[in-house]
Amino acid sequence: MKRNLKQYVAVLLILMFAFTACTSPSTSPSTTEQTETTANTEASTNTQEQPSAQDTEEATESDETTDTDRAGNPITLPDNIERVISFAPSMTQVIEELGFLDKLVAVDTQSPKYVDGVDGLPQFNMMTPDIEALAALEPDVMFVSGMSLAKGDNPFEQLVELGICVIMIPSSTSIEGVKEDNQFIADVMGASAKGQEINQKMQERIDAIAAIGTTIEDKKTVMFEIAALPNIYSFGQETFLHEMIELIGANNAFADEESWISVSEEAAVAKNPDVILTNVSYIEDSVGEILARTGWENVKAVQEKNVYYIDNGKSSLSNHHIVEALEEMAKAVYPDEYSALSE
Amino acid sequence: MKKLQLKIGITVLICVMVLMVAVGFGTVRIEPANIFAIFGHKLFALELPSEISDNIASIFWTMRLPRAIAAFLVGAALAVTGTVMQSVLRNPLASSYTLGVSSGASLGVALMVVFGISLPFIGNFSLPMIGFVFGLGTVLLAMAMAMQLDKNLENQTIILIGMVLSLFVSSMLTILIVLSKEHMEQIIFWQMGSFSAIKWSHVQVLLMIIIPGILFLMYFAQEMDIMTFGEEQAISVGIDMRRMKIILITASALLTGTAVAFVGIIGFIDLIAPHVVRKIYGASHRIVVPMSALFGGAFMTLADMVSRTIISPSELPIGAVTTLIGAPFFAYVYFSKRGVKRHA
Repeated sequence: MKRNLKQYVAVLLILMFAFTACTSPSTSPSTTEQTETTANTEASTNTQEQPSAQDTEEATESDETTDTDRAGNPITLPDNIERVISFAPSMTQVIEELGFLDKLVAVDTQSPKYVDGVDGLPQFNMMTPDIEALAALEPDVMFVSGMSLAKGDNPFEQLVELGICVIMIPSSTSIEGVKEDNQFIADVMGASAKGQEINQKMQERIDAIAAIGTTIEDKKTVMFEIAALPNIYSFGQETFLHEMIELIGANNAFADEESWISVSEEAAVAKNPDVILTNVSYIEDSVGEILARTGWENVKAVQEKNVYYIDNGKSSLSNHHIVEALEEMAKAVYPDEYSALSE
Repeated sequence: MKKLQLKIGITVLICVMVLMVAVGFGTVRIEPANIFAIFGHKLFALELPSEISDNIASIFWTMRLPRAIAAFLVGAALAVTGTVMQSVLRNPLASSYTLGVSSGASLGVALMVVFGISLPFIGNFSLPMIGFVFGLGTVLLAMAMAMQLDKNLENQTIILIGMVLSLFVSSMLTILIVLSKEHMEQIIFWQMGSFSAIKWSHVQVLLMIIIPGILFLMYFAQEMDIMTFGEEQAISVGIDMRRMKIILITASALLTGTAVAFVGIIGFIDLIAPHVVRKIYGASHRIVVPMSALFGGAFMTLADMVSRTIISPSELPIGAVTTLIGAPFFAYVYFSKRGVKRHA
């Protein structure tokens, strides 16, 4: 009996290790990005430190030197940036938009889920990256998010010591901050003009929503779930999603709270929201799950079946794609008012 | 004896009050009069007074009430099993957790979360079921190994094997979590314990297992009284120690397993309840077992109320609250009653 047990456990352990050798552990997209944002609430307060980008010449070879990254760390940009590592899907998407996918030499394990064409690149776990393998790729610059700092110590210090330009961009908590992040990446890549263009397009779409949003008088109360029962998560002020709810002309049910918050079931029902939005993608039918909750029958949103799914990637990755989530939200909450909005 | 009856009376009264307070407080406060109105509405289809919205009634009836009852039942189960295990193993630190219920259940739940298994037919009950099977399984395995190693089933053997197996299972859990980080949060949340998703369907299962379980354990009160004096005494009056140990430990593991399966691992109550109850009511198991149930139940209900109100709209993990309230309370009871003699 004892020997059998030992053998069984030994086999089990061997299998476990074998199993991990061929799969790369990945992190669920929503929670990753959400925690990322939570970890860095000061990000948006650093807005003044953004380097001025007068250089409108779109040039790959940039001779401007940026002194500090978005987290305030001193950096020295190399003159020529040819080999780039992106360590967060939000940044990989910006690099894609800028047209520099071909310069990427490695990404984090999440990026391939959101960006086509990076599957073939080496992939690293953003929480516990293999520093030696990263160094061996000899990147010119490496973009990392606050998520990689979540464990407290900076795992990239060794890379900085090796002379690699590690650029920290904590996820922003405001739409303004998101735009500054976009611009910063563009500046680093020597494509300031393109960055401005991306932000301008983004702003135009935001303005279009805001133009309608400000005219709306029937302000619906919206609860936005970013994690479902039993641990419902939502957000209060100082998040870009909160700004987005206000932009479309609605009220956030948890406007009196701050940042990302866990919400008890009772509290959610007591708020009696008119509309419930969810970007939960880790369960199959998150809308159906909300509609079927016992005890929620009399919540207005459930009663009138005003529960909608908002794309997880677009609403959780902090970059220019949030305007697409903004438009989805607008059409979900006020279908008539925003019906004229182009697809 | 009069004094004892008074104490019991007060305890029952306190339990009722705690339950009333627990269902009244929360994100929204519900006055006692409204509580009765909601009862009338739900049970006898009486009309709801206009000041109570349908949502308040739902909050009370589908969230708060089942939750409070579940907390009471789980607290009772943990306290009673703590008492039984301490008496049976004659060790003031023993509990079902010592023998691996918690680590076993955690491993089961983690395996299920990581591999995304869902059992057919029982759907929502898959997680509790697996937690229960693994929790109970670990204890039974520990007992089986102890029996193999030691024919007499000495207490030290049981505790030692239990702890070793428990640590071993925990290490497998650690490996599993490290290998699948994306599930880490979910598993850790589960481990910290919570009553937040409890519904009537869960309460039904808890009722069906915990109440008979506690009555079953009470049936052996006299045997437990004798066992606390020592193995030799017990054998001399004709108690089959080996059999008693197997029966009582298995029954305790079953109760703890059920509790843990539904609400995660909530520590401390199993440890302190027996000590506090013995200080107040003496050592006779005829009294200690039911009083442990009441004390544990009231304590857990109160702790759960604190966990969901103190940082509303968020909740604190219940495990943290039980220890936070329990530790100073335990110290107070233990030291303030130091002079009082135990009456057997």
